[in-house]
Amino acid sequence: MNVAQQLVNGVIIGHAYALVAVGWTLLLGAARLVNFGHGQMYMIGAFVAWWVMAATGLPYPAAVVAAVLLGAVLGAVMQRLFLRLTLSQDLVSLMIVTLGFGQALEGAAGLAFGPKPQTLASPFQAMSVHLGPVWFTVQDAILVVATILVFAGLSLALHRSWLGAAVRMVAEDPRLTALGGLRVSRIYMGIFAFEGAAVAFAAALVAPRTPILTSMGFDQVVMTFVVVVLGGIGSVLGSYVAGLGIGLFTALFGALVSPAYTTAAVFALLIAAMVLRPGALAASGSFAR
Amino acid sequence: MTHPLARLVLAALLAAAGFLLPVLLGGSTLVYDTLVAIAIFAAMSYGLDVILSDLGEISLVHTAFFATGAYAAAILTVTYGFGAWTALAGAVLAALALALVLGAITLRTREFAFSLVTYAAAVVCMNVASNWDFLGGSDGIVGIPPLDLSVGPVELTAGRSPEFWPFAYALLLVTLYVVHRFRRSRLGQAALMVHMNPRLATMCGLDGNRIRLQVFLLSAVISAAAGWLYAFQRAYVGTDLFDTYFLVLMLTGVILAGRRILLGPLLGTALLLFQKSFASLGAYGDKLVLGVVLVAVLCLCPRGLASLWPRRRSAPAATGTATGEIGAASTRHA
Repeated sequence: MNVAQQLVNGVIIGHAYALVAVGWTLLLGAARLVNFGHGQMYMIGAFVAWWVMAATGLPYPAAVVAAVLLGAVLGAVMQRLFLRLTLSQDLVSLMIVTLGFGQALEGAAGLAFGPKPQTLASPFQAMSVHLGPVWFTVQDAILVVATILVFAGLSLALHRSWLGAAVRMVAEDPRLTALGGLRVSRIYMGIFAFEGAAVAFAAALVAPRTPILTSMGFDQVVMTFVVVVLGGIGSVLGSYVAGLGIGLFTALFGALVSPAYTTAAVFALLIAAMVLRPGALAASGSFAR
Repeated sequence: MTHPLARLVLAALLAAAGFLLPVLLGGSTLVYDTLVAIAIFAAMSYGLDVILSDLGEISLVHTAFFATGAYAAAILTVTYGFGAWTALAGAVLAALALALVLGAITLRTREFAFSLVTYAAAVVCMNVASNWDFLGGSDGIVGIPPLDLSVGPVELTAGRSPEFWPFAYALLLVTLYVVHRFRRSRLGQAALMVHMNPRLATMCGLDGNRIRLQVFLLSAVISAAAGWLYAFQRAYVGTDLFDTYFLVLMLTGVILAGRRILLGPLLGTALLLFQKSFASLGAYGDKLVLGVVLVAVLCLCPRGLASLWPRRRSAPAATGTATGEIGAASTRHA
C-alpha cells in the first residue's frame, strides 16, 4: 500500500467533509438548527450545476456560480418557512421540519431530474498532478484551497467584523439582540443563505468526484454530521479539524481494514467521543465562546 | 364519556367498526392492501410516538427497530425454519438488545445530540445490513413463509391481504391498548415529568435516565412488532426498510394530528397512506407530498391539526386531564 497516497487521499476527502459541513456548523452554532435536509441541499446543488452545464452549455465555473446562487435562495426560502419555529426555539419541531424539507427536495429533484445517475463533468477532474509517489487531480487541489479559504474567511468574519459580532449575538440570545435594535430575522436570513450557498458550493466542487443521484442526500449527510458533532457543536475551527481527521481516518481505514464498514467505524469513533467527553456534546450551542 | 363503562362500550364499538372498515369501503384488494399497510405502519409509528410525545425527544433510529423486527422474523423463519410465534419472540428480543445498546449510548444526550446519534445509528444499521451476508446483504432475504400463528387446535393462518387484515388489525389494537395503558401507568407519568420538569422529577426521587431507557425499550418493542408482521405481509425483507421514507412517514403520522392524542398517529398514517394508494403521484410525487405536508403542518400549526379545533380541546380542560394542556406545555417546554 502506498501510505503517502492514502494520506493525500485522506487530506482531500477530509477537506471535502469540512467544506460540506461548514454551512451547517454556522447554522447550528447561530440558530441551533440541526438541518437534516442538508444532504438533500447538497444533492440539489450538484444537480443544479449539472443541469446548467447540460442544458445551457455554460462552462463549469459558471455552473458553480449558478449552484451557489440557487443554494442561497434555497436557504433564504428555508428561513422564511422556519422563522416562527426558529424564533421560538422549538428545537424538536425544527429538526422534524428539516427532515420534511429534505424529503420534499428529494421528491422534487426526482421529478425534475429523473432517476438516472449523472456526471457533473469538471474539466479540472481530468487534469492530474504527479508529485513523486503521489498524484491528485487539479479539482482536488482547488477543493482543498477553496475549503481553506472558506474556513479562514468565515473565521475572520465571525471574530473580526461587525456582521460576525451580530451573528454571535443572535447565537447568544435572539431576544436581547432584538432589544439591542438589530433585525434578528435579517441576521437569520443571512445565516440560512450562507448555509444554502456553502453546501451548494461544496456540492459543485465535490460532486465531480463521483456520479450523482437524486437519492444520494441521505448518505451524504452522515459524514457531515459526524464532522459537526465531533468538531464540537457549532465550532468553526473544530469542524475543520474534525473533517480533516475523519478524512484521514476513512482513507486509512478503507485501505487497511474494510471499505464496506468505514461508516460503521466512523460511528464507533463518534460513540467513543460521546462516552469519553459527553459534556462537549451536550446541547449547549456555544460556538461563540 | 366520563363514565368508564360508557367509555369501554364506545371503544368496543369503535374497534368493531374499524374491523368492518374494509368491507364498508368495498372490500377490493386495494382497500385491503391499504388498510393492512395503515395498520402496520400506524403500529410502527406508535413506537416513535411514545418517544416524541412523552419523552419529547426525536428518535431517528426507529426505522432500525422496525427493520430489526422484520429481519429477525425473516432469519428465524427462512434460515432456521422456526414458526411465527418464535419469530415474534426473536423480534422482540433483538429489538430489546439493540435498544439497550443504543439507549446506553444515548442516555446522557439530549435534544439534537440525541437525534444526531440515533440518526447515525440508523445509518450504521443499514450499513451493516447491506454488507453482512447473515442478514442477506444487499439482496435481502426472500421466501418468508405465509403467517401461521395456529395455537393447538385453533388454526390462524394468513396468506393474502384479506386474510391478513384481522392480524394487522389485532396488532394495531394491541398497540393502541399498550400505548393507552402506558400513558396512564406510573412509567408514563414519570416519563412526562422527566420531560416537562427534570428537576422536579429528580426531587421526586425519579431516576431520569432509567425512565428514559425504559420508555426507549418499550418503544423499540412496539416498532419491532410492527416490523415482524410486515415481514410476513411482504414475504421479503431488504435494506429498503431503512429508507428515510418510513422515518418521515412515522414522524408525519405522529405530528399531523397532534402530539399525545391516542388516535393521532393512526389518523395521520391513514391520511398519508390513503393518498399514496388512491391519489398517488408516483414515487417522487408522493415523497414531495409527504415532505410538503410535514413542513406545512409544522410551520402553520405546530401543534397538529387537532389544535385547529380549540373548543373541543378546551372543554375537558375543566376536568384537568386535557391533552391540550399537556400539548401546550410541551410546546412551551420544547
